[in-house]
Amino acid sequence: MAENRIPPEDGTGGATISRREFLARAGYLAGGVMIAGGLAACSSGQGTSPTPSGGGSVGAPKRGGNFRLGVTGGGSSDIIDGQTIVTKPDQARLVAGFETLLVYDENYKLTNDGLAEAVTQDAPDKWTILLKKGIEFQNGKTISSDDVIYSLQRILSAKEGLFGAAGLASIDPNNITKVDATTVQLNLKQADSTIGDQLGQYYNGMVPTGYSRKGQQIGTGPYKVQSFTPGQQSVHVRNPNYWRSGQPYFDQVTIIDFPDPSAQVNALLSGQLDAITDIPFAQINVATAHGGLAILESQGAGWLPLCMAIDAEPFTDVRVREAFRLMANRPQIVEQVLSGHGRVANDLYSPFDPCYATDFPQREQDIPQAMSLLKAAGKEGLTVDLHTTPGAAGMVDEAKVFAEQCKAAGVTVNVKVDQNYYGDQYLKLPFSVDFWGTRNYLPQVANGSLPTAPYNECHWPPKDSNYLSLYKQALAEVDPDKRCSIIHEMQQLEYNEGGYIIPFFNNLVDSYSSKVQGFNPSKATLNLDSFGHGYRTIWFA
Amino acid sequence: MATERSGSPSTADPAFVTAGPRSAAPGRVGRRGGILGFIVRRLLLGLLVLFLVSIVVFAATQALPGDPARAILGRTATPASLAALREQLHLNEPVVQQYFTWITGLLHGDLGTSLAAQVPVTTLLAGRLLNTAFLVLCAGLISIPLSIAIGSYAALRRDRAFDVGTSVGTLLFAALPEFVVGVTLVVLFATTVLHVLPAISLIPPGTKPWTQPKEMILPTLTLVLAVTPYVSRIMRASMIEVLESDYVEMARLKGLPERIVIRRHALPNALGPTFQVIAINLAYLAGGVIVVEYIFNYAGIGGALRDAVSTRDLPVVQALAMLIATLYVVLNLLADIATILVTPRLRTRL
Repeated sequence: MAENRIPPEDGTGGATISRREFLARAGYLAGGVMIAGGLAACSSGQGTSPTPSGGGSVGAPKRGGNFRLGVTGGGSSDIIDGQTIVTKPDQARLVAGFETLLVYDENYKLTNDGLAEAVTQDAPDKWTILLKKGIEFQNGKTISSDDVIYSLQRILSAKEGLFGAAGLASIDPNNITKVDATTVQLNLKQADSTIGDQLGQYYNGMVPTGYSRKGQQIGTGPYKVQSFTPGQQSVHVRNPNYWRSGQPYFDQVTIIDFPDPSAQVNALLSGQLDAITDIPFAQINVATAHGGLAILESQGAGWLPLCMAIDAEPFTDVRVREAFRLMANRPQIVEQVLSGHGRVANDLYSPFDPCYATDFPQREQDIPQAMSLLKAAGKEGLTVDLHTTPGAAGMVDEAKVFAEQCKAAGVTVNVKVDQNYYGDQYLKLPFSVDFWGTRNYLPQVANGSLPTAPYNECHWPPKDSNYLSLYKQALAEVDPDKRCSIIHEMQQLEYNEGGYIIPFFNNLVDSYSSKVQGFNPSKATLNLDSFGHGYRTIWFA
Repeated sequence: MATERSGSPSTADPAFVTAGPRSAAPGRVGRRGGILGFIVRRLLLGLLVLFLVSIVVFAATQALPGDPARAILGRTATPASLAALREQLHLNEPVVQQYFTWITGLLHGDLGTSLAAQVPVTTLLAGRLLNTAFLVLCAGLISIPLSIAIGSYAALRRDRAFDVGTSVGTLLFAALPEFVVGVTLVVLFATTVLHVLPAISLIPPGTKPWTQPKEMILPTLTLVLAVTPYVSRIMRASMIEVLESDYVEMARLKGLPERIVIRRHALPNALGPTFQVIAINLAYLAGGVIVVEYIFNYAGIGGALRDAVSTRDLPVVQALAMLIATLYVVLNLLADIATILVTPRLRTRL
């Protein structure tokens, strides 16, 4: 059971091992062009955007109190490091002490609300970081260019094995120049417009020169680490020097590991905790009936694709792939796998990307059409094996629900659950289930949809496709609108001929005591409104 | 449950006809050295058991077919990390040598380094061991006297209200898994009905469990309810048997006061079999406490074992398996000694 290890972007709840992110370092292709000319981004193409309920934010923030948070998972492999995580509680601890140059807002749009005044792309392969002035680390030292250079070099160091290395791989660690005390110039090995995007990932925190995981935990964040016992709990105390005026509000934050979600809910019900991550769906009613507790449901962008390998029988025929996509009853899968806590997807990924295509018709279950496609392909009454594993929550359930739905079309899907799935057969199977976290489109393509991608389950793209050349064009394109139209073409190809069946994107469902104010639902990678933005935008009423 | 024991004192003896101390009289084969000789024989037998257990533990964890290093690292394996882990686990050596490296370290108190936490196993487990030991101790101190009292009194009041009541009660609790008992207690006292006790038992790292009495109540109560039914039922059965025996009848016929009959003659004889059940239950507590620690998020060895299994942290799994095995052996030994001391028939036969 490795459920307590999760990839940093994963939002699928009881998620699983970080196999992908570790290997990604070796085989990562330079991200993609996403943010050009600083923070200019395409207008949001989202169908729905979360509306802050306002229920959390009444009255002026007040100081004081010990905020006690229960986080699902964790164990003796827990770490605190400003630039990487192993378990989910590590995420909760990282954001208390460390901050990034740029930050994503509640609509998953990149903003310069972080440590940087500005991050600009001066040329396709040249970026400049301008720090805000006078921000101090928790030990009183003012953050400077040297710290930024040290932080980036540490992320890129192969020896450290940190998550951010893959996404920032186009930065040349030996060619980062200090312009002055607050200005740093990045000279890239190749053109890459996704650097700004990567600098906003929560795990690319800024650390002081000389920082190491075993040394003192010093960041610029709102809380200093006071004590930490892996697998049990950590205590963080208010940073009196914090640079955002008035924040943070709590005197102390206590983060407690919970291997068992039921104990977590019980502790919240009995008032021993003020908030918990990932409340089990079955317990949501218990919490709402209790009074004094609230549910925070945020849009996540985690997805569990059913992957058809386009070069393996019977999926070499695009009509068979189309038929399988038409056999899926997506609303039913959302209902049965996520108890309704998700959104129906349309076989495309990266829903938070500004270029996410929303103009393709929503695929719905169409059994007669699926049967006629199979008949045309000469594949009536097909029998296939669907391989899955209890990795991320829902991977087995999704396979079983889909198999049931296929019966209507006379297709027999045998679900094969294999504990060693990721060890032996992964990426070699004709039909399998996998999991992915939140990424924007081009970085995701680099990870899963290119011949060079380390986790290309579907063996996409077809040999005669122009997908790869489109990808290269998109990487080189610095105009956001033009880039979006290239990405749209790429999505069209995947929508028409791709190997993924993507039934849904998950939601993040957390619970908290209503005496905590300031939580708002957001489009996020991390639970609980990105842990109350590092426990600084929430307070006790 | 008494039948699960590895052997009663009398059946264990013949195994040590040759291995036992040589000081005893030659005519009394297998019964040498009095109580001391008996303890020495049992200790040696215990060591043999532990030696066999260590082979099983080692075989089941490290010496399994396949590459444990690859199993541990899974998809995150790189040639460098595989080589480093093989080195750390001594996987490049022959299996027999690996075993001796491990067992030698164990005998020197070196339990190795946790693969997940990268700290010595002893450091990792020390605090948790104390927490579990204190929880088991609390449960034992309450449940043992309680169950002896309930069992004895029920035997004396056989078929009357108290006996019938406790029989039904103990049967009920014996049938309920700790999981159900624990969750019910949480619902009753912490979350739904009353809000008087904490639902989970957080012992902040660095503090001692006895400084948090309120946190100890529900886990202790759950364990007491799990153990008391077995022990009191055995005590009752054993007491009834003794009360019907010839020597008790003789004592009564001689006109001894009932108080003396029970305290001097019945109780000590009835305790013998009960000790065995107590030992098994205490040993069970140390291992079965995992469920209770899980329910209450109590930081003990149960949680450490669960965590170590999930992260394939072999040194921690091996250390805990050996620890629990040792506890079984020691508790069995203590139970045998206690049985002999309270049973004149056995004592004089040594």
